[in-house]
Order: sequence, then C-alpha cells, then structure tokens
Amino acid sequence: MTFVLQRLLLLVPVAVGITIIVFFMIHLIPGDPARTILGIHATPRSIAILHRQWGLDRPLISQYWLFMDRLVHGDLGQSLFYGVPAAGLILSRTPATLWLVAYAGVLAIVISVPLAMIAATRKDGIRDHVVRAVPLLGLGMPPFWLGILLIYALAIKVRLFPVSGYGTGFGGHLHSMFLPALTVAIALAPVVIRSLRASMLNVLGAEYITTARSKGVPPSRLFFRHVLRNAVIPAVTVLGINIGFLIGGTVIIENVFAIPGIGQLMLNSIFERDFPVVQGVTLVFGVLVVLVNLLADLSYAALDPRVRFDR
Amino acid sequence: MRHRFTAAKTLLTAGALVVLAACGSGGSSSSSGGGTGGSGAPVHGGNLIFAAVQDAQSMNNTTVFDNNSIWIFEQIFQPLYTVTNNGKGVMPWLATSYTMSPDKKTYTFQLRPGVKFSNGKPMTSADVKFSIDQNRKATQGWAYLDSAIESVGAPSPETVVIHLKFPWAPLLADLSIFANGIVPNNYDGQTEAQFYTHPIGTGPFKWDYWHKGQALKLVRNPFYWQQGKPYLNSVTWEDVPSDNTRELQLKGGQAQIDQTPAWSTVASLKTTPGVIMDLFPSTQTNYLAFNELRKPFQDVHVRRAISLAINRQALVKAVLFGNGKPANSLFPPQVPFYQAATPGLQYSLTAAKAEMAKSSVPHGFSTTILVPSGNSDYLTIATILQSELKPLGIKLNITQLDPNTTNTDEQSLKYDMVLTLWTMDIPDPDELATFAVDPKSGAKSFFTAYNNPAVVKDTHAAEVTTVPAQRQKLYNFVQAQSAADAFMAFLYYSPYPYATTSNVHGFFVTPLGNMHMENVWLSK
Repeated sequence: MTFVLQRLLLLVPVAVGITIIVFFMIHLIPGDPARTILGIHATPRSIAILHRQWGLDRPLISQYWLFMDRLVHGDLGQSLFYGVPAAGLILSRTPATLWLVAYAGVLAIVISVPLAMIAATRKDGIRDHVVRAVPLLGLGMPPFWLGILLIYALAIKVRLFPVSGYGTGFGGHLHSMFLPALTVAIALAPVVIRSLRASMLNVLGAEYITTARSKGVPPSRLFFRHVLRNAVIPAVTVLGINIGFLIGGTVIIENVFAIPGIGQLMLNSIFERDFPVVQGVTLVFGVLVVLVNLLADLSYAALDPRVRFDR
Repeated sequence: MRHRFTAAKTLLTAGALVVLAACGSGGSSSSSGGGTGGSGAPVHGGNLIFAAVQDAQSMNNTTVFDNNSIWIFEQIFQPLYTVTNNGKGVMPWLATSYTMSPDKKTYTFQLRPGVKFSNGKPMTSADVKFSIDQNRKATQGWAYLDSAIESVGAPSPETVVIHLKFPWAPLLADLSIFANGIVPNNYDGQTEAQFYTHPIGTGPFKWDYWHKGQALKLVRNPFYWQQGKPYLNSVTWEDVPSDNTRELQLKGGQAQIDQTPAWSTVASLKTTPGVIMDLFPSTQTNYLAFNELRKPFQDVHVRRAISLAINRQALVKAVLFGNGKPANSLFPPQVPFYQAATPGLQYSLTAAKAEMAKSSVPHGFSTTILVPSGNSDYLTIATILQSELKPLGIKLNITQLDPNTTNTDEQSLKYDMVLTLWTMDIPDPDELATFAVDPKSGAKSFFTAYNNPAVVKDTHAAEVTTVPAQRQKLYNFVQAQSAADAFMAFLYYSPYPYATTSNVHGFFVTPLGNMHMENVWLSK
C-alpha cells in the first residue's frame, strides 16, 4: 500500500513538470488563436479584444499562475476554439482513447502469447524463425499505412468491420475499435513476442521445469502454471513501457480511424492554438503513462507471489 | 506434440476473439454502398452522414467566420433572400418581394406567409428586425456587411422596412448572408449564449446534438415552410480530418458525402462503382500574394515579372490534376461583374524577362515563400515556382511553418510571398473587392499593403451605384488595373470537389459553397 501511495504521490511533481514544459513550449511556438478564429476578418482591435477576453494579454508567468490556480480547483480553463470548459471536452474524449489503449493491449497479448509459445517450444526451427521474422513487418510498417490496409481488406472488401468510428455501447465499441486496436497490436506484438520467447526459453531450461516434467505434470498445466507465469513478468514490463509510448501514438491511429479520442483532440487543438485544451490533454497523457507503468509494476505481485512491494 | 496442441488451442482462442469482435455489434456498420444511381421521384426518410474535413466551431451565425460552421447552421437559419444556384444573384426566401423608394434609401420587404420556427411559433417582422439588428451589433463578426443600414422597422407583422444611410447596391446580396439569418425575437427568451447551444430557426432542419470534435446532428424540422421538404430524417456531420478515411468511409458506405476528396483521387473516384464525383463550379480563387512593405515587391516590374513567369496551366495540371482553370482576374467567373476579357498576366517568359530588365533588380534577388506545413498542394505550387523563377535570377526559398503561424505571419505582413485563397460570402463583388484592394479595410488589401487610389475609388463608387451597367464599368477598371499592377499573381480557379454515394440525390453546392440539404434524398 505504501508503494502504491508513493507512486501516486510521485504523480504530483510529474504533473507539475508536465504543466511547466507544455505551457511554455506551446506559448513559445509562434501563432495566434485569435487570428485563427477571426481569419481574414482579424483587425488589431478584434484581436486585442479576444486576447483580453482569454487573458492572453497578461505576462506569461501570470498566465501560468492563473492556469495552475484553476488547475488545483479542478478547472482546466475554457477551450478558446469551442468556448466550453476544456475539462469537459477532454473528459468526453478520454473513454475512446482508453478503449483503444486497453483493447490494443489485450490484442497484443492475444497475438503474442501463442506465437511466443510456438517459437519457444520449437527453438531455432522454421516456425521459430517465421515467428521471429514475420511480426517484424508490423513493427516496420507505419501504423497509418497498416491501418489503411486493414480498412481496405476487412472493412471495404469483406465488410466485417466499420471503416472508422467508435461505435455505441460495449458491443459497438468492441466491433468498431477492432481494426484500430489490431493496428496498434500488430505494431506492439513483435517486441512482446521477442521478450516473451526469450524469457520462456530461460524458464524452460530451469531445473524446476525438468523436475515437474519428470513428475509427470501434464504439458498444458506445466506451460500455463509454471512456464508462462514465470516468463510473463519481463514481457509485462516491455508491454507497460510500450503502452506508454502507444498513448502518445494514439494521435495517428485516432486520425486514421476517425476515433473521437484525446489524441485527435490534441492534434486539432495544437493547430488551433487552443492552449487550455493542449495543456489539459498533455496532462492527461502524462498521468496515463505514469498510471500504466504503475499498473505494470503492480501486476508483478499478482503474477509472482514472491514479489511484495511493501516489505 | 502436446505443446503444439496447446499452442494451436491458444491460436484458436485468439481466432475466436476476432470473430467475437466482428460480431460484437449489429448496427454500427450499416451501409448500402452502391446505390441505384438513378433519380426518379424523391423519397422521404433516411439519415445522411456527411464526412466533414473539420468540426464546426460555433453556431453563432453573426460572429463565426468558419465555413464548416456556416454550412451547417445554414440548414437552421435562413435569410430574407438567398443566393441563386449560379451564385450570381439572389432569390426571395423568407421574403417574397420588396419595393425600393425613389431615393433608393428605403426598402420595404413583404415576408413569406406561413413561415414557422422549428418550435412551431410563426415568424414575424419582429423576429426579422431583431435578427438583423443583432448582426449590426456584432462588431466582432459580420456587422460590417450591414454598415449601410440606418435602421430596421417592423410596421406590421408581415412587413419589414430597412432604411439606409445612403444608396447601397449590394443590399440584397448582403441580406442573403447567413449572418442575417432569422432567429426568434429576443432569442426566444434565452440569452445569446444559451440560444446558440441549441439554436432555433426556420430552416429545413432543427437541432439534435453536437458532440464537439466528433459529430453534429440535425433532424427534420416538421414545421418547415417548403411543403414536403426536407426529405431526409436527419443529417449528421462527422469530423473526419483524414482524406483517406473520408474516402474509405464513402466506399465502405459509412458516409454518404465526402467533403473535399484529395485532387489526386478525383479521377479514380469518377470511375468507382457506387460513387458519384461532383465538381461544382466555385468562387474559389488561389493567389500568390506579394508583400509590398518588403523590397523589392514595391516595384511593379518585379511583381509583373513573377506573375508573367508562372505557367498557370502547369499549376492546374500538377495541383488540381487538370480540374481547374488559369485565373485572369481578381474576380472568379462565378461572381457578378466578372470580366472575362480582363487582361490578367499570363505565362510568357520573354515578357517576364523584359519586365525584370526594367526593374530595380534586373539581375535577380533572393526571396522566400511562406507555405503552411502539411499542405501538399501549396508545397507543389511553391516547388514549381522555385524552378519557374530561376530563369529570372530569382532564388526562391521555401519556408514551411505550421498553418497557424503561416496565417499569423501573413496577417502581420511578416512574409515576402505567400499563397492565399478566397471564396465569396455574398453574391456581389463588393466584399471581395474592398478586402482585396483597400489598404484601409480589415484585410489590408489581402495583407499585401497594395494601394492604388484609383482602384480604391472605383471600388467604393461601385458600392453606391445601383445601375448595373455603371457598376460593370467600374468593376472592369478594378479588375484590369489590379491585374496590371500585379499586386497578387492570380493563379487559378478551382471547383468544389464532393464525392457522394450513388444513392444520394439532389445534392448541390452553389459557387459560394451553400448547400440546400432540404433537396437531398436517399434512394433505397
């Protein structure tokens, strides 16, 4: 419990660090949201009015303090583009991104575990080489390209899945998000497969496995209870780190599949210089990455009874 | 052997998950794909999905400049007069007729009987007065278009009187703008902010929902004044920024209209079964702007030389894949008073070299062109210009900045050359001409600082002259002189590309970009 609390407390300095970096970086980039909104109709007067309305005429430090003051009160400010609370906007878009990340994680495991097993149990055989080589294509292929190929094959030609979107209800999400999640999972799987295969080979060579075999433990029980459980811990670390990267990478996938997630919101908000939304989304991304890594750490204890964080 | 069995079992489980996912939803991928393609009698019903490039920004018709918002709220709010299908005039809409006083300063409009708002309340002259007065107050918005109006009166429920400060030729065109669309008097008892979160109008569709950044849905207005219309039950604008995804949605039957397919895909979409590729004549004109605050662009010979060195036909071929026309005038052909005979500068390397020789930099110079990153069309133009200007001794550097920064730098006149475009808001050249050539206008001569007093004078003279022949003469001079001054190089006119599934009928886009969704229907 102390470990979990410590990690959660660590979120505070991480979040503050993120706000400082993002706030000043976004303001360093040239560009003016008032000019974007007013377009060719922008006059010095109309720009000044909007700047005053949004507080952009104040010194940068004062703007940052105002942002932090609002933040501790749970207010991320108003979206400059839509004129609605940024927090509400982000909150409404977060479930789609969480769905994508979780679904992709599950699919990555579903793809990786059997393939790693095939490779580990037939070390240096043809299947092992195939399993190690073919998934690398997924790693090397740009996600947007892979996404389009999957859409073309499974949504246009076969019409098994929708081209894009988020769907409605649990079944709808499961159906609509399959192709985007698969796109991400295909990119994620090669790393997990390699890591899992290596740890499986290690475990398969361990003495307790030989003992278990000699005692006549059935192969399926031996594999799932002893080999997989012990081999999966390093793979969980790899998956955790990669999901961290993946959260940032949702920007592209959400764009290809028109998923109304926070990745797409961030991209649009950067182009519109919607400062409060960009700041809010980055904060959410940062917190999510820390939480995913914390979950990965906690899963060690669930997988390996020898691991106890509080001791 | 057993290991193999276990692995195979796991693979089967994975396969089963895929199938499960595929069966997870029964309804979200409904599609008809290829339709009948025939026309016939319109049928009622159906929900149309419009794959839009960008989300709307706001529904406040008096302050928003964003096209994606405008094209949506035009289905809710309607003006007294609307743009004709050829984009060159107006036709009665919520008004049926008008009379003009002999001094041309008072217009009396007769309102269309039987018009109701989507809440069932009848529209009266009080609503019209309130709506136009609201727009006149919108100093951060479109109020400048109503600047000639002295006052609006509502002497009877069916009559509206507009008093002008001076005779104003573009009045009907100005009234046809969405910003003068009619809303209920006093926003039906709500504040302005409250009202625009779920607006009410007399248009064919009424408000349903807006999930910002995702989708905006309008449903059929049962009180709509055109009997039997609209045909559709609903229209949903979905935010799909990726060109590829919009096209795939169309092909997969998940959307029925693809807004602005990429030019490179137009030819293939024309031959795609189940898809209709439309190129609607538009008022979009692309220009190359020169910043006259920077050297050597104050020199007319430099500007003329560059303009003459541009092979516009090559640009049309490379950028629009042949789907456009070289521009000869500041005005596009779909604008009233466009003069086809305007001697706009066209490609002639010999003439370009002769102009350079007469200029302050006869041996050339180094300059930059500002290009918004991610805009492949503009990058193509800039790359072509780079090679076309070389024979003049001009070294052109391409600076790519993100769109917001490019926009900011353009409007602050922090550039040498920049690519820009214009589409008409009203069916009259007044707004375009004022913005383009008057350095005192908000747009500072399209942010070029161009200033030719004779051109400015005739532009404003055309505003107060109500005789069409006289206006034509004045605008002929404006077009010819601005072309000769080459304050911008007029590049090309392009159409509006829209792809629809073949079961969509009655979809039409005017040269100003307006859509009458009440005429659209879906065949089975």
